[in-house]
Amino acid sequence: MHKNLIILLSIIIVCTSPFFGQIEISLANILDTNKMDYQIFWDIRFPRTTLAFFVGGILALSGLIFQTIFRNPMSTPFTLGVASGATLFTAIGIVLGFASFISFFAFLGAMLTIVILFILSSRFQKSETSSLLLVGIALSFFYSAALMVLFFISDLQESYEIVRFTMGSLDIVGFDDVYIMALTGILLLVLILRYKYELKLLLTSYQFSQLKGINVKKVNYTLLLGVSIAVGVAVSITGPIGFVGLIVPHILKIIYKQSAEKLILPIFFYGGVFLVFCDMIARNLGTTSDIPIGVVTSFLGAPFFIYLIINKKRE
Amino acid sequence: MLKINNYTNYILEDISFDLEGKNLIILGSNGSGKTTLARVLSGLIPSDTVSCEDKNPSQLYGSARTKLINYIPVGLDIFDEFINVLEFLELNCLYGNHSVDEVLEFLNISYLKNKSCKHLSSGEAQLTLMAGSILHNAKFTIFDELTSNLDPVRVKMVYELLKNEQLLQNKVIITHNLNLAFKLGYDVLYLEDGKIKFFGSNDEFFNSDNLDMFFNKSVRRINNHIVVDL
Repeated sequence: MHKNLIILLSIIIVCTSPFFGQIEISLANILDTNKMDYQIFWDIRFPRTTLAFFVGGILALSGLIFQTIFRNPMSTPFTLGVASGATLFTAIGIVLGFASFISFFAFLGAMLTIVILFILSSRFQKSETSSLLLVGIALSFFYSAALMVLFFISDLQESYEIVRFTMGSLDIVGFDDVYIMALTGILLLVLILRYKYELKLLLTSYQFSQLKGINVKKVNYTLLLGVSIAVGVAVSITGPIGFVGLIVPHILKIIYKQSAEKLILPIFFYGGVFLVFCDMIARNLGTTSDIPIGVVTSFLGAPFFIYLIINKKRE
Repeated sequence: MLKINNYTNYILEDISFDLEGKNLIILGSNGSGKTTLARVLSGLIPSDTVSCEDKNPSQLYGSARTKLINYIPVGLDIFDEFINVLEFLELNCLYGNHSVDEVLEFLNISYLKNKSCKHLSSGEAQLTLMAGSILHNAKFTIFDELTSNLDPVRVKMVYELLKNEQLLQNKVIITHNLNLAFKLGYDVLYLEDGKIKFFGSNDEFFNSDNLDMFFNKSVRRINNHIVVDL
């Protein structure tokens, strides 16, 4: 593979993304404070692209960790019900009339889910992750049912807001959310790089890791906690954005053909690039409003993913 | 010293013995509890009745654990398909006296170095695991049916390597290969239905009466070899 070419292309996508949209921005105007372009670039497009990059990175890296720990290629950052928890609480917030505190409610829902999971997990046997996975899935279904009830009792406007949240959105103004997201992303990256050796052992087998002196349960739960909090923060700002966490780790494994612990930085980087690219498409399809980002990630990601899997089987 | 005192679980019953500065062979029919015993001894199944150098291996982490005891399972279980033999062996480099290349050379498997662990044959996987155990070189190494998938040439090679006292410290070997067990000459522990039926010296175990009793007259000692009487 022409890895250098792909890196170059990625950097070009990330750097040019803020210039495209309903209003085209020219490079010359972005440093001129009197121009409209300056405002659009620095208040909307640049923060939005940066946000997309870090959210994409966090989701992709979370997918890698979930797939490794649960030994399940279908695991995503949302498998444990963190996103459903955030969605449910957002819906509760909207129905109760606190629409302007959506982020707070989403974060509360995500964290509450994590607390429930970890209290329950203390009752599990040693290093048993399948129970945690099943509890997470059960929680997701429970939340979905509760969400249905909320749809049923909410009015049209509220229902619409809930649906919009579940589709995910990168619409922000200013840098406050960007700072939070960037800090979260970097902290997650540092945490995972710090556990690189343990992660490599976990990629062999749990028994082997234990024989090599690893406290498997502690390492698993530390990583899951870190990832869940990061995903909770991301969901509280952008809503659940599907598919990135599922496919980016798989795509990179197929392309790089290396064990997962060597792909931590590439997965973060390309996860970010993928979401920036999807966002660029979402903003430029010429309709009056942006297409929801979750729709674009799935439309672009699914066919590419299937193509790679078919090709891999053929080898 | 590796010690277990009155251990009982769903398969094993009242297991007690200790091992000081000696190697051991564990024999027993299928399902008699050999692997379970190995997993208890190595701390993979937690129990307060086990002690290795006066510590309970199931509660130790890091080098406190790795320097004491290692368990080599029958098969090589690797989740990530892109981890190759070299990368796997590097994870084993702890207290051994030889480099990865030297150990690969001892076992005649240098050609496997860059092969994915997922694509090894069962025999190649066992040789890779043995290489790992030499690189790890814990105080006690428990081998679970190390030679079960090896061809006769490889069995002989493994036998020579086990005989070499420089490569590994104390060895506990679970096997169905009676001739290997006999020729290694280690003390023997015989398990039947989860209970210890024999614990004593190699000479004592491999006399004709015991062979008839434990193996139902299907094993014979001929010219100082133990063979299956077909």
